[in-house]
Amino acid sequence: MEADAAKLLGAGLAMGLGAIGPGIGLGTLIGKAIEGIARQPEVAGELRTSMFIGIGVTEAVALYAFVIALILIFVA
Amino acid sequence: MSSQPRDTAPPAASDPTPDRSPAEPAHPAPEPRLEVPVKKTRRSGCLAWLLLVIAVFVGLMFIPGGEEEVAEVAGEFELHAIIEIPAIGPVDLSITKAVIYLWITVAIIVVISIVIARTLKPVPGKLQTVIESLYELARDGIAGSVMKAGAERWFPFIGGLFFYILISNLVGLIPLPFGEHEQLAFYAATGNLNVTIVLAVFTFVFTQYAGVKAHGLFRYMRSWAPSGAPPVLKQFIWGIHVISEVFRLVSLSVRLFANMVAGHAILAVFFAMALIFQSYAIAVVLQGGSVAIYLFEIFIAFIQAFIFAVLSAVYIGGALEEGH
Repeated sequence: MEADAAKLLGAGLAMGLGAIGPGIGLGTLIGKAIEGIARQPEVAGELRTSMFIGIGVTEAVALYAFVIALILIFVA
Repeated sequence: MSSQPRDTAPPAASDPTPDRSPAEPAHPAPEPRLEVPVKKTRRSGCLAWLLLVIAVFVGLMFIPGGEEEVAEVAGEFELHAIIEIPAIGPVDLSITKAVIYLWITVAIIVVISIVIARTLKPVPGKLQTVIESLYELARDGIAGSVMKAGAERWFPFIGGLFFYILISNLVGLIPLPFGEHEQLAFYAATGNLNVTIVLAVFTFVFTQYAGVKAHGLFRYMRSWAPSGAPPVLKQFIWGIHVISEVFRLVSLSVRLFANMVAGHAILAVFFAMALIFQSYAIAVVLQGGSVAIYLFEIFIAFIQAFIFAVLSAVYIGGALEEGH
């Protein structure tokens, strides 16, 4: 396999496989947050704030995979 | 949570309220129903609109194309020196697009701050309300709620970080004439890894400074290992803690950088749909998608600034506490 083909394939695999974990994690996180808001609507504001912080941190993992894909395509 | 069962039992015998007299009917007679006139013109109006939209869509598919143009997504992120300044050692000081965007952010913040400070009113106007709510969010929501000990001392840094990243992200969504051949183009200063690494280095350095100042150098570094652990495991955990401290630097910078780059790449793809699919029809259909993704990018700009500031506050607050 040529180097360019391998790089593109690696970039695709990196982003694709790297999005599985954060996808599951985000779904779980947001589901739990919705459950918490349903149980106790008066703390919805704090729950929402914590949810956004959790979303930011979890999404960062998917973005590490994105950065690896970018490095493979443009830099390596 | 079970719903309360409705009380349909009749009033008790000891209830002092008098019973309803048997001469009154239990329910009033039902009112006669009103006939809603069916508007016949409405349905044909809808049909005419639908036919028009389909005709326009089909017509767009038949527009004869000229040469095939290519949409370049990655061209936005290339930096060319606008004013060449010779390098001092390894540091290249030329003025590029990113430098000018950083200056624009600083200029916006300074101008808004001076305007607000000079015209403070007890009943705030629109701009003052917005800035006041952002300030309150930074002071109470970020520094106050996360850092217990040093919220007041560190709020200038956390608030400054929040405002700088927020304004920089938002300026990246305004088309400015820095594209090729002076075209209007998007570019986010925080979409440059160098900028975000510097911001993360600020947080890292201040975390270590806060920890050392509060606890002294050796006690602070000794607190990275849990006290009640066997000797070899203790050094191992200490090493892992050092790595995780350095990794915080990487994660903070890469999170902001990758969010901005990914956002702008998606924006470029959506806005260039006509070129990617070589069809005007698809571009018209996806105009709503372009608007939606642009609004989502504004939302992400706020969220990423908030998350960077909150995580910085958490790290500095954690270093201040460090009570193992």
